[in-house]
Amino acid sequence: MTRYKRQDPEITRRKFINVAMGTTAAVGGVSLLSTLGAANPVFRLTANKMPPQAGDILVHAQESKEGQPIRIADLGPQLVRAWPQGKDENGDPVIRKGDPNNILALYRFPKGQLVAPTNLDATIDGETVAYSDICTHAGCSVGDSDINAGEMKCPCHSGQYDPKRGCIVIGGPPPRPLAQLPIKLEGDNLVVTGFFLTYPYPYTNENEWESIKKEVEAQRT
Amino acid sequence: MNQWLDERLHISRLNDKFLRKAFPVHHSFFLGEITLFSLIILILTGILLALSYEPSNSMVVNSFDPGTADKPNLIPAAYHSALKINAMPFGDMLRRIHHWTANIMVAAAVIHMMRVYFTGAYKKPREINWWVGMLLLIFTAFTAVTGYALPYDNYAYNTLKVIYSIAASLPWVGEWVSQAAFAGKFPGDGLIPRVYGYHIMLLPGILLALTAAHMLIMIKQKHTQPQYAKRIAYKKIVGVPLMTQQTPIMLALTLLFAGIVVLFSAFIPVHPVEFFGPPSTTPIDNIKPDWYLLWIFGVLAIIPSFEIHFLGGVINSEFVGAIVVPTIALLAMFAVPMLDRSRDNLYYAENPTNYPVRLGLGVAFMALLIVWSVAGYKPELISAGILSNANANAVLWIATFLVPALCYFAVQAIVRGIRSLREADARDRANFQAADD
Repeated sequence: MTRYKRQDPEITRRKFINVAMGTTAAVGGVSLLSTLGAANPVFRLTANKMPPQAGDILVHAQESKEGQPIRIADLGPQLVRAWPQGKDENGDPVIRKGDPNNILALYRFPKGQLVAPTNLDATIDGETVAYSDICTHAGCSVGDSDINAGEMKCPCHSGQYDPKRGCIVIGGPPPRPLAQLPIKLEGDNLVVTGFFLTYPYPYTNENEWESIKKEVEAQRT
Repeated sequence: MNQWLDERLHISRLNDKFLRKAFPVHHSFFLGEITLFSLIILILTGILLALSYEPSNSMVVNSFDPGTADKPNLIPAAYHSALKINAMPFGDMLRRIHHWTANIMVAAAVIHMMRVYFTGAYKKPREINWWVGMLLLIFTAFTAVTGYALPYDNYAYNTLKVIYSIAASLPWVGEWVSQAAFAGKFPGDGLIPRVYGYHIMLLPGILLALTAAHMLIMIKQKHTQPQYAKRIAYKKIVGVPLMTQQTPIMLALTLLFAGIVVLFSAFIPVHPVEFFGPPSTTPIDNIKPDWYLLWIFGVLAIIPSFEIHFLGGVINSEFVGAIVVPTIALLAMFAVPMLDRSRDNLYYAENPTNYPVRLGLGVAFMALLIVWSVAGYKPELISAGILSNANANAVLWIATFLVPALCYFAVQAIVRGIRSLREADARDRANFQAADD
């Protein structure tokens, strides 16, 4: 064996073709990868996709009554689903159901039943409370439990929540309680007074939630 | 005409190479064929369905129940077209045949793989085909899932939402991956066109290519021979040729199989879109995936909740339950040929009882999947009073470890019993012969 590798003074035809083909394949591959970018469309935060925010009124989400403002008398210890309704760029009312994660769960319990960790300042008279109705586990809409009355159950992987105690997780895989939405009564309407108190589904950390809040604020002004 | 064709297409060479391929005469070898016939029926019925299906989730007026001019009844176009397909002559039947065949295809593939595993047919030189088969199984499941998303009823909508969120649960890249896969934030305008593209173009293309590879490798390597072939003609290929003996058998099997599927479809409805209704925020009580994905669903139902924030990414119970655990299970199946230490080529299907460890592990693995599938029924078990909210997870987790272990040892005991009976038989025979002499 020699220690020296024979150096060809000239580039061979074979080598040239190999390099040319390799380069073509690499460029082609990378350009194909760029089409993957096109697979992911640009997201525009339009009024109907914004999360519920201060000034929104709550309207029924149930199909037969969709869009009708919710009255306090409509509520009780059974879950009522609601959409936030805000204003679009022209000031026309728009139901924010472009993002299905905006669906809300409303409850009204006799006084004294709602307890911490529910934020009672964010409820109406310590009786009426609003939560995000999207399970923090896999994003399904949560309903009233058919097993234990007074609890909430997600049909997808049987996550359970307690709506009287800030919707804390009392069973199943969800990682976090449902986010509470601060509301107040204004005339007959239920009005949102701010953003969700904690980050709701589909956000996985505080930062994402803060940045979407900032984006919404920026568009409001 | 034969000569005319032969001069152009060299039919006689094709005949020698492929059409004379010997098929082993044993009913367990029909399982792969049933899977193949299912794929063909699926493609045919799928084409017919695609002719009437509208792949769009834009809202259109429901022509069956238009509502009023100022408050029209709007439903997604895909759901509307599913209703229209149901209203066609035999339209509902067509959908049911497609759906039933899909279920049967997965079932046949699973049983086919069980046959291959338990008889050792995955061994050298057939490892590659085991892996191709695994890919076929995985892509079949993907095709099935994208398929039941297409009617875009409330069931499909909820399913898609969960799949989207499972994809999004990947640490770091999840959000991007799920948006790229499902055309933007759920439910984007391009959602159904995207899933439709997967279901009718991408995935069937992959399935057909993999099937072709699977068959070509099988023809090249020949089937494993059943045990009887060893007795009647050692080291020779025994079986009936494709042309003309196996073909009528296949045809008969196809017709019988198609008949059974049609019978099923006529009497047992699957996925009644009218019942589920259009996508809505009202959840479906106790919604469940199809049986072949129920084990993943079960894992998700009993996994404790946790969330680990790690270097800016989130590792949560959903990621572990729906992606890590199934990946481990699938990797274990992929690894099966590599765990086998035999260096010789395998010609004859092995008797499972001669390989008790392999048999036991296979049974234990299936038992594990069954336990997890049962865990998918956790809410029903609690409603029925069999388990309680407090003990359900604990009981199901104990079963997760205990049942497979028990199955493994039960198999060992049974195999030992069979062997001792066999040895007693052999002794008796020897004594008998000795007495004869």
